[in-house]
Amino acid sequence: MIAALVIVPILAGLALYALPRSAENAAKWIGVVVSFAAFVVAVLSRSAPDESLVWLQRPFTASFHVGFSTSGNASAGYWIVLLLTLSSGCGLMVARLPRARDFVAQMLVLLGAMTGVFVARDLLLFALFWDFMLIPVFLVLIAWSPTKSSATAWKYFVYNLCGGLALLLATAAYGIFAGTTDAIGTVAAPLSPQLPAAAETWIFAGFALAFLIKTPVWPLHTWMPDTYADLPAPMVAVVSAVQSKAGLYGFIAIGLTLFPHAMTAVAKPMLVLGAISLLYGAFAALVQDDAKRIVAYSSLSHLGLVLLGIFSFNPYALGGAIVYIVAHGLFNAGLFITLGEIEVREDTRSLSRLGGLAARNPKLGGALTIVILAALGLPGLCGFAGEILIMTGLYQAGHHKLTIVALIPIVLAAAYMLRAFQGMMQGPEVEDVPQRPDMTPLEIFALAPLVVAIVLLGIDPGPVAFPARAAQTAGIAPTQLVSAK
Amino acid sequence: MTPQLTIPYGSADWAALVPTFIVAAGALVVLLADLILPAGFRRPAAIALGVLALAIAGAVALTGWHHPYSAFAGGFVNGGFTIVFEEITVVAAIFSLLMAYALGRPDQAGGAIALMLWSASGAMLMAGAANLMTIFLGLELLSLALYCLCGLSPRPASRESALKYLILSSTASALMLYGMALLFGATGSVSLAVFANPPASVALFDAGCGLFLIGLCFKLSLVPFHVWTPDVYEGAPLPVTAFMSVVTKAGTLAVLARFAYAALPATSSAQILWPLWIVAALSMIVGNAAALAQTDIKRLLAYSGVAQVGYIIVAMAGTTPQGLRYAIFYLGAYTFMNLGAFAVVALLSRERDEGSSLNAFAGLGYRQPVLAAAMTFFLLALAGLPPTVGFTGKILILAISVQAGFVWLGVLLIVGTAISAYAYFKIVRAMYARTTGAPIQRAFKPASALPWVGVAICAVATLALGLCPLAPSDVLPLVK
Repeated sequence: MIAALVIVPILAGLALYALPRSAENAAKWIGVVVSFAAFVVAVLSRSAPDESLVWLQRPFTASFHVGFSTSGNASAGYWIVLLLTLSSGCGLMVARLPRARDFVAQMLVLLGAMTGVFVARDLLLFALFWDFMLIPVFLVLIAWSPTKSSATAWKYFVYNLCGGLALLLATAAYGIFAGTTDAIGTVAAPLSPQLPAAAETWIFAGFALAFLIKTPVWPLHTWMPDTYADLPAPMVAVVSAVQSKAGLYGFIAIGLTLFPHAMTAVAKPMLVLGAISLLYGAFAALVQDDAKRIVAYSSLSHLGLVLLGIFSFNPYALGGAIVYIVAHGLFNAGLFITLGEIEVREDTRSLSRLGGLAARNPKLGGALTIVILAALGLPGLCGFAGEILIMTGLYQAGHHKLTIVALIPIVLAAAYMLRAFQGMMQGPEVEDVPQRPDMTPLEIFALAPLVVAIVLLGIDPGPVAFPARAAQTAGIAPTQLVSAK
Repeated sequence: MTPQLTIPYGSADWAALVPTFIVAAGALVVLLADLILPAGFRRPAAIALGVLALAIAGAVALTGWHHPYSAFAGGFVNGGFTIVFEEITVVAAIFSLLMAYALGRPDQAGGAIALMLWSASGAMLMAGAANLMTIFLGLELLSLALYCLCGLSPRPASRESALKYLILSSTASALMLYGMALLFGATGSVSLAVFANPPASVALFDAGCGLFLIGLCFKLSLVPFHVWTPDVYEGAPLPVTAFMSVVTKAGTLAVLARFAYAALPATSSAQILWPLWIVAALSMIVGNAAALAQTDIKRLLAYSGVAQVGYIIVAMAGTTPQGLRYAIFYLGAYTFMNLGAFAVVALLSRERDEGSSLNAFAGLGYRQPVLAAAMTFFLLALAGLPPTVGFTGKILILAISVQAGFVWLGVLLIVGTAISAYAYFKIVRAMYARTTGAPIQRAFKPASALPWVGVAICAVATLALGLCPLAPSDVLPLVK
């Protein structure tokens, strides 16, 4: 069943091309049904056994091995797959763009490929899906580009491919040194003794480069604001909510378990990079005019916080990082879907052009309020749950100054998020933008699952953060482990 | 006493060459059919007979899989290695014939296809050649037929292509021949098996190896011996370019692999071969970088071929037995993805206008979605992206480069691949972007639907081999 989560969306996506071009609505609903069906299957497969098929036997063994890890660091993959299928279904429900059949097909291929990244239990399979998930995004950036140049598509592709290729070389090298790549969530934590120290360092460097580009982390982030701004709303919801988490998931599921020494060795520079991303993203978000770019830079900032959580090697911070990965996905998907609604209505998403929308579109205003409050970390919603856990863990791990630094962007988050809200929804009504009806029931219904999840996760982040008391500490180098007092 | 005429070779010797002879005899049958049949049937009959001869040869060659033996006193070694290269040649020749419907004028069809078959038989001879005489015989058989084929098209570029290829390739052959003479002088033998013993004169031997390798590098169009390739590929008729891009490389790689693995003394092998790894590294970088600027698909694939052969040689770096298997695997992969791309171009070709300019691809994703999807798939494979055989092949090469201690080649392979992605995806962009500025061509019927068969088979093979990589297992020993 888990393999079906990967294969069926891809095949369904390709099969959509057999429909006539005019069957846009049918294609859209097929996409929605496949996404939500995948969500249900994923929920039901929580404790399903792994599925495995031999791929390579020489020069190292590799297999098509998929499954949800129920304990240990890789178990975060389960929650991310739920997030992925949910945001894909919600995003597709409100898809409104030309050539919708082709777009939905690419979305489904992307859904399958990204599910593959998070259910892969084999490093080589992980690398396969890691590269594969670039292709639908590249094609969509080209075929639905708002500009003539395709510059965004190239930027996205070249950056991520460089990371993907480094990952490929590192995976091959890991296979040679360890004898097998079938290692995600299966190698006994916390130490993997097979790798010679020198090899571990450079192999980890390959993985880390891929993860840092994908997240992205300053200074490798320049592809990200353009990509988020140019992608159509349903796909940017999925890409920003989930694809950007692949790097962080990689650090948690692969880095902490397979490369504990290298992770410890690079912790300092990583914390610095995380802190810079955190501050840089927040300040950049303060001055953007394009609402999508505000959210893009806020992502840079938020994911920097997750990086701090991971590299503080503290169980609370790690749990918080996983919660925040899911939480960020939920509110980011919600934000981009809502911004897509605004753009479809007003033909612009520029703060300086918009204003006073809430007066005419109260439902739209309400929807944006909820997701923005989650994004700026209102207690009771999911963003806060992740932030407080990361902060606690960070402080407990002894990074006192860093905790103070990390507080600044959280204050700034309130500033830039509210600035975006005010710019679009409040103030005097702007007369020269189109006046279109408020959200339809369908559009509200598309946001509802995300909002429910935002609230639920905010109230009880426990199952996501600490799947099992014993499991949460697995994979953390013993020297770094701070006992939970 | 009258000197007795002896035939030194028995039937077992000749049996090793049966597949080669079938292909060569097939060419004669094609020529005969060309004389007998009415004009309208000549072209289809020539293609059908050519494909038939190749298919029979391929099937016959397979029967020898588990019986490696050496024929003609070590001149031709039959076995897994030879058979794999023969099969690759046969498959590539069949795909080229499928595109060959528009090759030459109708009255030239029989001759052209016969030449192509003879050229293929030359490559098959090289696949098993284990002494210098057989190697040179195969190489010249391969090349001489190609000189004629390159000039078949009425375009002036075609004649330029033929002349360029003739002059430069002959120069390379001359260098190689001189290298062979030196090798013979140093060892007193033409047999590769003897070379593995320490030579009488090291200086002579090394010089001979150097010249011999330079000749091979030229035929493989590795940097810095690659400058002829784009012009020749661009000028030659499309089926001939497709044929050259795989068959020449397969035949020459067979010789190179046999030479590198089996014909060098163990003590000096690494020292003699290290320039080869440098050449491979240069090819990967320069080939891919030069491909960036091309707007003609044939030129682009010419440069891409330069880099792809570089990848194959990376697999052989350190001459590990595993590496040879992956080199062969990648060559097989390259055969399918490269010929698939050529078959797509063939379907876009019209009389006097081969659909090889980038403009021919503008908006193809909206005019002919299936063809565009196939092309995208082949380009993904060439760029080494999943889910294709290109990805799996690259993983195997990277792994072996780490294992053999040539990590730096692995890193350069990655760099080259990153560069190449832009070159390949430029075509993808042309096919799918709504506004590239290029005039969109009207859809038209291709001269023949036969290349579709090639596209379909190549696409299936590109996917299936990626998910189920069947690297040949018993390819050794290479010489007797």
